[in-house]
Amino acid sequence: MKCLPSAVVILGVCLIISVFKMNPSSPLAWGEAWDPDSQKKGSSVVDESVPARMKTARATVDVVPSAAGEEEEEEEIVEIADPIYYWNKGMYHFNDKLYFWILKPVARGYRWTLPEGARKGVKNFFYNLAFPVRFVSCLLQAKGRAAAGELGRFVLNTTAGMFGLANPAKEHPALHPPDEDLGQTFGRWGVGNGFYVVWPFLGPSTLRDSVGLVGDSFLDPVRYVEPMEASIAITAGDTINETSFKIGDYEALKDAALDPYISIRDAYVQHRKKKVQE
Amino acid sequence: MNEQSKSMGMKRQILGLTMLAVMALFALPLHVSAGMPQQTIEAYVNKVLDVLRNPALKGESAKEAKEEKIWSIFDDIFDYTELSKRTLSRNWNKFNGDQQKEFEDLFRKLLGNVYMDRILAYKDEKVLFHKESMLSDNKAEVQSKVLTGANEIPMDYRMIAKNDQWKVYDVIIEGVSMIKNYRSQFNNILSKKPPDELLKILRKKVDKS
Repeated sequence: MKCLPSAVVILGVCLIISVFKMNPSSPLAWGEAWDPDSQKKGSSVVDESVPARMKTARATVDVVPSAAGEEEEEEEIVEIADPIYYWNKGMYHFNDKLYFWILKPVARGYRWTLPEGARKGVKNFFYNLAFPVRFVSCLLQAKGRAAAGELGRFVLNTTAGMFGLANPAKEHPALHPPDEDLGQTFGRWGVGNGFYVVWPFLGPSTLRDSVGLVGDSFLDPVRYVEPMEASIAITAGDTINETSFKIGDYEALKDAALDPYISIRDAYVQHRKKKVQE
Repeated sequence: MNEQSKSMGMKRQILGLTMLAVMALFALPLHVSAGMPQQTIEAYVNKVLDVLRNPALKGESAKEAKEEKIWSIFDDIFDYTELSKRTLSRNWNKFNGDQQKEFEDLFRKLLGNVYMDRILAYKDEKVLFHKESMLSDNKAEVQSKVLTGANEIPMDYRMIAKNDQWKVYDVIIEGVSMIKNYRSQFNNILSKKPPDELLKILRKKVDKS
């Protein structure tokens, strides 16, 4: 009789776990999607990670007519809500000018002065510094193997890789898990995107991912550099370095699109969805 | 007795030989479909890389010849009808026959120009095909990685088999499906404007490049 309450508690916990387990995107679904030994392809088109009550995005079902005239599979595109469209469009134009007038010329000059090897070193260094963000998110999603991989890579690259400048961990597939962040963690937990928001300087995001960015900033070592101007300068340097590898990509995207704003919005949502699934 | 056993022996031999022949027939690959999607796309990608690496086609003067060759490879590997139908999806029926034909033609030019620019910017990248999976009886996904100096870009091809030929109907780069991306743009335009307007926008875009 004395053990009855504890038995009830245990039973209750088991029930709760089993309910959560039925939702594949819950934190208690211990199955890890990433397996360094085999590549798993991305899963279906339907956004299962969004519970109905959180779904503020409209899902449109398109029936694709095939050549034979019969109806083929229905492909669902998940559109994202865009209630602050005018703000977003304004920010899109701001970022667009920022890129062409400032970021691109600076990155080009930077690319001209620093050879690719040195720039890759800088890139590796900053990537290594972002270890806490990725590591914590792996843990929060119960991705043990990925967390171990992150830790292993951080240790290897910091020691043998001269404080992160080199990337000796590149040779080991087990030390190369998919990047995680807090926004993806929330997605895994079933939080929907919310709505689309474009931030000046930072670019496209969603309500969920923006909250994730704020959380991640606490795990960013650069944030704690004093004085604040130095911290901002370092971040700016990182951005310029990253851009130096990607000059031409944004232009190509604009070239390919009929409506770049919509194209970027859609690409962002698709890309994040894939990252949540990995 | 001897003759009986002799004829029995012969019968057994013939039976044995027949069985061997039948087994050999089944062992031959009568319908090679496993690996065909990947083989197909790999072959075409290699053809493109060959054109790009061809020392005889280097320099500005050879640019047109290079483009012509690559265009013909595009026409072989892309299924423009599938692409057009899938990017318009529900809106396909808003277009009449002539408009559908013009859309297909314009979309082909748009896509070709876009890909041509990216391909001609090729420097030294390596392409690694690493996985193939069947999505259904006649659809497959082939996964590849483009290795640049600094990045590894996942590029997946979705292919459909028609008349025993595998063709590409979607390209997925870093998780972003080209079909879905264009579909959302076309959907947005067609929710406010008629098909002719979309054709006008496409015409302007293609003429600019």
